Amino acid sequence: MRKLCLATVVLATACGGAAVPQETLTAAKAAVAGAEVAGASSEPKAALHLKLAKEQLGKAEKLIADGDNEEASREIDRAQADADLAFSLAKEATAKKEASDTQEQLERLKQHSK
Amino acid sequence: MNRSFKIGSLLAIQALVGCSTPLPPQELLQARSAYNAASKSQASQLAPAQLDTAKQALEKAEATFKEEGDEPVTKDMAYIANIRAQIAVAEAGREQASRNKVKVDHDFRNSQLDALDSSKTALEAEKKARAEAEKARKAAEASLKEIAAIKEESRGVVITLSGSVLFATGKSTLLPIAQEKLSDVAKAIGDQGGYKSLLVEGHTDSQGSVDKNQQLSLQRAQAVRSYLITQGVPSDKIRAEGIGSSRPVADNGTAEGRANNRRVEIVVEPNK
Repeated sequence: MRKLCLATVVLATACGGAAVPQETLTAAKAAVAGAEVAGASSEPKAALHLKLAKEQLGKAEKLIADGDNEEASREIDRAQADADLAFSLAKEATAKKEASDTQEQLERLKQHSK
Repeated sequence: MNRSFKIGSLLAIQALVGCSTPLPPQELLQARSAYNAASKSQASQLAPAQLDTAKQALEKAEATFKEEGDEPVTKDMAYIANIRAQIAVAEAGREQASRNKVKVDHDFRNSQLDALDSSKTALEAEKKARAEAEKARKAAEASLKEIAAIKEESRGVVITLSGSVLFATGKSTLLPIAQEKLSDVAKAIGDQGGYKSLLVEGHTDSQGSVDKNQQLSLQRAQAVRSYLITQGVPSDKIRAEGIGSSRPVADNGTAEGRANNRRVEIVVEPNK
């Protein structure tokens, strides 16, 4: 019984190829949403990588529909990386803006108390 | 010559064929240079974890290249490694910016405290100055009260000096004692500061002719004005008027009343 089970599993893997990369797909989609929320659309370089991530996800979904899960998985990995970069760039831009705003406030305060 | 050429080209061909490792794809070259740049940037201090992730991604791409050669999977790995290196740089930039902000926030708070301190100091100094001015004003008033009657009217502070102290009967020449008193008055007025102008009014009792009283009161007022100018009151800030007997303050029917009516009033007209 147990041996049969194992054999079935081996057979299934061998015949069906790679499984649908549902988990990484969901994670990459979440990463894209996260980058959007972080403001990636309003930061040119971040917007570029956000766009790339979305395109790659679109491609991946098409590949999954075509049954090419292995290649889809690679597109998803690329999308994840691009979405992560879009997020980091958006966050970096926000942090820089906050820092310069605070700096500006400081200058104004100094000017005011002169 | 010919032979050595043949050997040379043969070696070259052999070298080409013998080179079993294919050239790395463009993506891998880019990933290498991206990681190289990231590792030399501030990312090593500010985003070490992300830099390590980038390093691992590059190692994975290199291993895939070694095993698979220039295949799509190698390009994908290299692409991801390149992106990871950029993430490390971006995260380092973000960390640097947030550190800057923390520092500037700190400076901002300190500046605020400094501003608060200096405004407190300024406020205290002002309070002190005001208290001192008030003290000086009270002292000036007190010293004036010793030599003259002082009352506050709508036209200003009115300093009334008795005519008998200032002048001999019928005369408009200041007595020596009057000069002394007027010096004190001038000093007190000067201490008080902040007035717009001074008006010196001469008043008489009702004895004698109206014309004569009018003339005498003006001459007396002018005498006081002149003296006050010698004591430092600016001439354009002091006027003299003769009122005669038209504004008595007491009954002209008694000797005491008449004495009170013979007077010089100095009106300190305030700044409006």
